[in-house]
Amino acid sequence: MNTLINFPISLIVLCSGFILILLGLWGMLTQRHLIRIIIGFSLMDTGIHMVMVSIGYVTGGTAPIINNAVPMSEATNLVVDPVPSALVLTAIVIGLGVTAVMLSFAVRIYKTHKTLMIDKLTESKW
Amino acid sequence: MIVEGLGGWLSKVGNFSLTLLIVTTYGLLMGAFIERIIAKVQGRIGIPYRQPFINILKNFFKRTAISHGVMFYLGPVFRIAGGIGTLAFVPVIYGDEMFSNFSMAGDLFLVIYFMFFGQLGMALGAGESGHPYSAIGIARGLSQMTAYEIPFALAVISIVIQYDTLSITQIVAAQQGGWQNWTVVTNWVATLAAMLAFLGMMGYSPFDIFLAPQEIPIGPPTEFHSAYLGLMQLNRALFGATKLVLFMNLFFGGATGWVELMIKTFLIYMVAIVIGVAFPRFRVDQGIRFFFKIPTLIGIMSIIYVQMVLTS
Amino acid sequence: MVATTDTIDIFLQPLGIYILALGVGFLIPLVYRVNRNSAILVFFTALLIMIVIAGLNLLAIINGASVMDIETAGIKPPFSINLRFGLFEGACVLAVNTVALLGAWHYLPRLKQHAAALLLYLILVMGINGMVMTRDLFNLFIFIEITSIATYALIGMERTAKGLAAGFKYIMATSIASAFYLLGTIFIYYQTGTLNIDDIIANQQLIIGPIGFIATLFILTGLLIELKPYPANGWGLDVYETAPGGIASLISVGVSAGVFFALYKVLPIMDLYLTSIAFIGGFTFLISNFIGLKQENTKRLLGYSSIGQMGLLTLVIALLVQLDASAHIPLIIGGLFINHLFAKAGLFWLAAIVDRKNIKDWSSIAKHPSLLILLCILLTALVGLPPFPGFWAKWELVMLLASEQLFGWITLILIGSLLEAVYLFRWFSYARNVESSESVEKPAEVSVSFLQQIPIFITGLLLFAIAYVMSRFMNVDNQLIYFPLMAGFAIWLIDRLNVRVKSLIMLLAVSIGGYFLTKDLEGINKLFSYLLIGGGILVSFATLYRHDDRKGFYPLLSVLLLSLATLLRAQTSLEFFFAWELMALSSYLLVMLGRNKQNCDPGIRLGNDQKNDQKYNQINAIKPALIYLLFSLASAYFILVGFAVSYSATGNYFLFSLGDSGTSTTLAFSLLAIGFIIKIGGFGLHIWLPEVYAEADDDFTAILSSVVSKAGIFGLIIIAAHLGVRADIGLNPAYVLGWIGILTATFGALMAVFQEDIKRLVAYSSMGQLGYIVTGVALMSHLGWVSAMYMTVNHFLFKGILFLSVAGVILRTNERFMYKMGGLIKNMPVTFTFTMIAIIAMSGVPPLSGYGGKWMFFNALMDKGWYWIAALAFFSSAVAFLYMFRLLQTVFLGQRKLEHRKLREAPVILLIPQGILIAIIFVISAYPKILIDVISTAIDPWISNTLVWKGTAMQAHYGYWDAPLIMAIIAGAWIAPLILLLLFAKTMKVQKVEQFNIVYAAERPRRPEETHFAYNFYAHYDRAIGFVVRPRATAFWNAVIEWTHSFAASLRIFYNGNGQTYALFIIMYFVGLFLVNGGLAL
Repeated sequence: MNTLINFPISLIVLCSGFILILLGLWGMLTQRHLIRIIIGFSLMDTGIHMVMVSIGYVTGGTAPIINNAVPMSEATNLVVDPVPSALVLTAIVIGLGVTAVMLSFAVRIYKTHKTLMIDKLTESKW
Repeated sequence: MIVEGLGGWLSKVGNFSLTLLIVTTYGLLMGAFIERIIAKVQGRIGIPYRQPFINILKNFFKRTAISHGVMFYLGPVFRIAGGIGTLAFVPVIYGDEMFSNFSMAGDLFLVIYFMFFGQLGMALGAGESGHPYSAIGIARGLSQMTAYEIPFALAVISIVIQYDTLSITQIVAAQQGGWQNWTVVTNWVATLAAMLAFLGMMGYSPFDIFLAPQEIPIGPPTEFHSAYLGLMQLNRALFGATKLVLFMNLFFGGATGWVELMIKTFLIYMVAIVIGVAFPRFRVDQGIRFFFKIPTLIGIMSIIYVQMVLTS
Repeated sequence: MVATTDTIDIFLQPLGIYILALGVGFLIPLVYRVNRNSAILVFFTALLIMIVIAGLNLLAIINGASVMDIETAGIKPPFSINLRFGLFEGACVLAVNTVALLGAWHYLPRLKQHAAALLLYLILVMGINGMVMTRDLFNLFIFIEITSIATYALIGMERTAKGLAAGFKYIMATSIASAFYLLGTIFIYYQTGTLNIDDIIANQQLIIGPIGFIATLFILTGLLIELKPYPANGWGLDVYETAPGGIASLISVGVSAGVFFALYKVLPIMDLYLTSIAFIGGFTFLISNFIGLKQENTKRLLGYSSIGQMGLLTLVIALLVQLDASAHIPLIIGGLFINHLFAKAGLFWLAAIVDRKNIKDWSSIAKHPSLLILLCILLTALVGLPPFPGFWAKWELVMLLASEQLFGWITLILIGSLLEAVYLFRWFSYARNVESSESVEKPAEVSVSFLQQIPIFITGLLLFAIAYVMSRFMNVDNQLIYFPLMAGFAIWLIDRLNVRVKSLIMLLAVSIGGYFLTKDLEGINKLFSYLLIGGGILVSFATLYRHDDRKGFYPLLSVLLLSLATLLRAQTSLEFFFAWELMALSSYLLVMLGRNKQNCDPGIRLGNDQKNDQKYNQINAIKPALIYLLFSLASAYFILVGFAVSYSATGNYFLFSLGDSGTSTTLAFSLLAIGFIIKIGGFGLHIWLPEVYAEADDDFTAILSSVVSKAGIFGLIIIAAHLGVRADIGLNPAYVLGWIGILTATFGALMAVFQEDIKRLVAYSSMGQLGYIVTGVALMSHLGWVSAMYMTVNHFLFKGILFLSVAGVILRTNERFMYKMGGLIKNMPVTFTFTMIAIIAMSGVPPLSGYGGKWMFFNALMDKGWYWIAALAFFSSAVAFLYMFRLLQTVFLGQRKLEHRKLREAPVILLIPQGILIAIIFVISAYPKILIDVISTAIDPWISNTLVWKGTAMQAHYGYWDAPLIMAIIAGAWIAPLILLLLFAKTMKVQKVEQFNIVYAAERPRRPEETHFAYNFYAHYDRAIGFVVRPRATAFWNAVIEWTHSFAASLRIFYNGNGQTYALFIIMYFVGLFLVNGGLAL
C-alpha cells in the first residue's frame, strides 16, 4: 500500500488550517499596516474554518444523507459529520461580518488619522 | 486614724495649723541659714536669720496700686494652696497622731499629683501679667519638671514595689527600727535616682535656669509684688520644707520627733546646696537631657533591683 | 380568546426576547423613515417588553415554576440548540435588560440620530441575553460575536479619532479571543460529539488527552480574555476611556455580565484550571486597583474599576466552585454582580453627563448637590459600604472564605477593595472641592438637566431596594439597623428649612429615636448609651451656634448619632459591622463638610510642614476626610476579618459567642483590637487623627473627639469582655495592647507639646488621653476597667469642653494659630474659666475628676505588675502639663493682640453645654462613688468586683483615695490664703495696668507681638528631646503611599497603547496558561 494514499486528506486540511492560523496571527502581530492586519485576521479565520471542516471529515465517507446506501445503523461510520460543515457556514458569515467592520474602521481611521499604521494609534494608554 | 464628729475635725484642723506654722517657720529659718552658708563660702557675711520674716512682713504690708486681672492675683493663692495642701497630705512625724495631718485622705500618689496644683495655678497667674519672662520661665520649669519626673517616678515605683503600699505612713513604718532599715540602705538604687530628681525639683544650680536668679529678674514671679510676693515667699519656704519632709519619709526613715526631722531634712537639703554651689548651671535642654540619661537609667535599675533582689 | 392568551403566553416566553429584538429591530429602520419618534417609541417598547418578559418569567420561577428549558426546531437537545431560563439566568437577564433600558434612556440623544444605532442597541442587548441563556457551545460563540459586532459598530459610530483607534484594538483583541473560543469549541465537539453544554458536562470523561486539554484551554482563554484579565486588557481600558458613556457602561456591565455567565456555564469542565482562574481573577482585581491609583482620566478610572470588579467576580466564582459552595452563589456572586452592574453603569452615565475628562476637574459639580449625592451613593455602593448589596455580598464572602481558612484570599480581596476605595473616593474629594486649583480658569459650571439624572437616580434606588431584599435573604431580621438611614433621609427632606428649626427637629428626633433604641440596654452598653447618645445630643446642641445653612450637616449628624445607638444595640457581629460602617461613612461625610475655604490638592499625601504658614493654610477638610475614610475602611476590614475568624470557629454571628472561638481567640482578638485601635488613633496608626480633628468643623470636632472616638473604646471593651475575659486569652495580646495604649499616650502628649495650631494641639491631646483608656482596658482587671470607663467618661467631659471652647475662640478670632492669639481672658473670661477647669480635670491634678482616673489606673497597673507602663504613664501625664499650660498661656494669657481688643465672649449656645459638662465634672470630682458604682455594676458580669469602700474612701491594694475629703481639704487650703490675701493686700486707688505697662530691663514694647512669648513655645524642649517626635509615622505612611503609587506606575507599563502589543499579550496569556497547567508534560 502506498502510504501517500493512506494519508487522510483531512489531516492535510487540518495541518494547512493550523499553518494558516499561525500565519494569520503572525501577520496580526507583526504587520503594522491595518489592511495587512485585517488580511492576517482573514487568514486566521480561514485557517480556523479549515480546521473545523477537517474535524468532521470521515475518510471515504459520503454525503450525510440517510438513504438505502447509508443505513441508519451505520451512518456514523459512513457519512461525513454534517455538523462542522454547518458550523463553518455560520462561522464564515460571522468572520465576514467582522472583516467588514474592521475594514470600515480602517477607512474611518484613515480619515481621522491620515495614517494606517497601528503604532500611530496610541492616543490612549496607561 | 478615724476622725469623728465636728470636734474631731476641728482639732484636726488645729493640729494641722500648728504643723503648718512649725514647718513654715522652719523652712524660713533654714532658708536664711543656707543663705548664710553660701555667703560664708563666698566670703560674705550674709543675711541675719530674721531677714526672711522681715521680707514677708514688709511685703504683706506694702500697698498695691495696680490690677493685672483676677487670674493674676489668684496665682499666688493657687501656689500657696498647693504648698499647704501638699503638707496636709504628708504625715510629718511618724507615730504622732497630732502631726499626721490629713494623710488619711490620700496616699503618696495624691501628694505627687497635688504638687502640680500650685505650679499650674502659679503659672496661670504669672501668665496673665503679660510679661514674657514669666512665660519663658514657666515653659522652662515645666519642661525640666517632665524630665526629672522620670527618675522620680521610677524610684517611687521601686519603693512602692518594695513596701507593697502607696501609703506614706506605712512606708515610714516599714523603715523603723534603725538606720539599716532605711530605704537609702535597703534600696539605695531608688534613693540615688530620687536624689538626682530631687536636685531638679529643688531648683538649685545646675538646674536653676527656669528661675535664672540673675538674668531674668526672678523668673515666673517677675510681675508679682506686695502681699502676692509675700505669699509666694511664704510658700517657697513651706513647699521646700514639705518636699524635704516627703523625701525624708520615703527614703530616710521618716522622723519620730521634730529634732530628728530638722536634722534629717537639713542634711537632705544640704545635698542640693552643696551640689548647687559646686556646679555651674545647665542650659535648660542640657538639664532635660541629663535627666533622661543617667538618672533614668538608675531609675530603671532600681525597679530591676527591687524585682530581682528585694522581692524574690 | 384562548388563542390570544396562548399567543401572549408564547410571546412572553424567554424566547420572545429574541423574536422581539430581531423582529422589532429590523422593523425600526422602516419605521424610522416614516417617523423618528415612533421608531424611538417602538425601540423603548421593545426594551421594556424584554424587561417584562424577563421579570415575569423570573417571578414564575421564584414562585416555584421549574427551570424553563426552551427548545428550538422541535427537536430535543443535544440535537438542537436549547436555551435555559432558570433563577440565575433570569436574574442576570432582568438586571442586564434593566440597565440596557436605563442606558438607552441616557444615551438616547445620540442613539436616535441613526436608525441603525437603535437596531444595533437592541441586537447588542439580545446578544447578551443569548450569552446568558444559551446552553449550546457554538450558539454561545454566535451570541458572543453578535454582541461583539454590535459593539464594534456602536463604538465606530462615535467618529472620534481616539474612539476609532481604541475600537480597532478592541476588535483585534476580541477577534483573537473568539478565534480561540471557536477552536476550543470545535475540538470539544471532536471529542464529545456534541455541542450541548449539559451533554458535554455529562460526558466530560471524553475530554481527555492533549486535545481535550488544548480544547478546554482554548475555550477558557477565549472567555477569560473577554473578561479583560491583567495584563492582557489594555484594549478594554482604551475602549472604556474613549467610548461614550452609554456604550462603555453596556460593555462594562452588560457584555462582561454575559461573558461572565458564559464562563460560569463552562466551569464544570474546567476543574483543572480552577486555581488558575482564581489566581487570574484575584491578580486582576488587585493589580487593576493598584494601577487605578495613578489614573486621572475619569472613564479610564472607571475602566480600571470595572476590570477589577470583573476580576473579583472571576476569583469568587472559581473559589465557590472549588469549595463546592454553590449555595452561596446567589448572595455572593449575585450581590457583587448586581452591585457592580448598577453602580458602575450609573457612574459611567454620570461621567458622561458631567463630561469632565480629568477627575481633578470634577470640582465643577461641587455646587451641584443632586449630582454630588448621586456620585456619593454610587461610589459608596461600589466600595461595598452599607447598606448596598456589595456590603452584604462582601460580608458573606469573607465569612465563607474564613470558614474555609482561606485568609490569603481575604487579604487580597480587602487590600484590593481598599485601593479601589482610595481612587474612587479621591475622585469624590475632587468633586467636593469647591475651588480646584488645577485649572487656571474656573471650570465651567456643569449644566445637567433633571431628566438626564433620572436613569442614574433609578439605579441608585434599585441598589437600595436590592440591598434591602438581600438583607432579608440573609436573615437580618432586625430592621432597626436601617433606622439611622431612614431618620437621616427624613431630616434630609426638611433640609431646606431654617437652620434653627431643622437642627432642633434633628435633636428632638435623635433624642426620641436614641431613647427608644437604647432604653432596654443594660450593663456596659447602657453605660455607653448615656455617653454616646446623651452626650452626643448634649454636644450636638452646641452646633446651634452657627447661623449658616449647613446643608447636609444635620441629616448626616442624625445618621451618625443613631448609628451609634444601633451599634450599642447590636446582637450579632453583622449588625455591629453594619452600624460601624454606617458610622464611619457618615462621619467621613461630616468631616468633609468641614473647612473648605482654601483650595488644596486633595491627593492623599499626609502631614504638613506646620512651620510654614502659607502652605499650612491651604489645607482643607477634604484631604483629611479622605484619609479618615481610608483609615476607617482599613479599621473596618480588620474588624471584618476578626469577626470572620471568630465565625469560622463558632459558626454563628452572635457577639456573645465570640468567646467560644477556641484556638482562634488570640487571632480574632488581635485583629479586632487593631481595627478598634485604628479608629481610636493608636500609636503609629494615628496619623489621620490630628488632621481630621483640625480640619473638621469646630463643633463637629467636639463630637468626633468626645463622642465618636468612644465607639472605638466601646468596641475594645466589648471584645475585651467577650474574648479577653471570657475566653481568657493569653496575656500577650493584652500586654501588647497595653503598650500600644501607653505609647499612644506618651507620643500623643509629646506631639501636642509642639503644635502651633490650637485644634491640632487638642487633637493630639485627645489621642494621648485615649491611650490611657486603651491600656486600662488591656489590663483586663476590675480596677483597670473601672479606671478605663471612668477615664472614658472624663475624656468625654473635658474634651467636649475643650473643643467647644476652642470652637468659640476660633469663631471670635478667626485664627487657629495660638501665637496669633493671646490675652483673651479679658474678652472671654467664661470660656477661659471653663477651659481652665477642663484642663485641671484632664491633667489629673487633685481635686478634680481626672485624679481619680489616674489613681485607679496607676493602682491597677501596679496590681498587674506593669511597672514600665506605669513609669511611662507618669512621664506622659507630666508632659501633658506642657501643652495644657501652653494652651492656656498663649491663647488666654499673655499679651492681647490689638485687633482682638473688641472681641466678645463666645456665644451662649456654646457655653451652655460646656457649663453642664463643668457641673458634671464637679459632681464627679466630689462624689466619684456615684459614677464608679454605676461602672462597677456594668462590669460585674464580666469581672467580679474588687473595689473596697471605707466610707467615702476607696481602698486598693496599694493606696487609698478619699475624694470628698480631698476636695474639702483643698478647698480649705485654697480659701484660707485667699482670705489672708484679701485682708492684707492693701490697695490704693486701683489702677488697671495698661497693656504694655510692664517692666523688664527698661524696655517698653510697642506691639503685643513683640512681647507675647508663644511661638515655638517649647523650643528648648524640642532641642532636648524633640527628635523622638519627628513625624516618623507620617513619613512612613507617606513612603507607603509614594511606593504604592510608583509601584502602580510600573505595573501599567504594559499599556503602551499599541494594539499589537495587546494582541501579543493575549497570545502570551494562552501560552502562560498552557505552561502553568502542565502543557509541557503532554
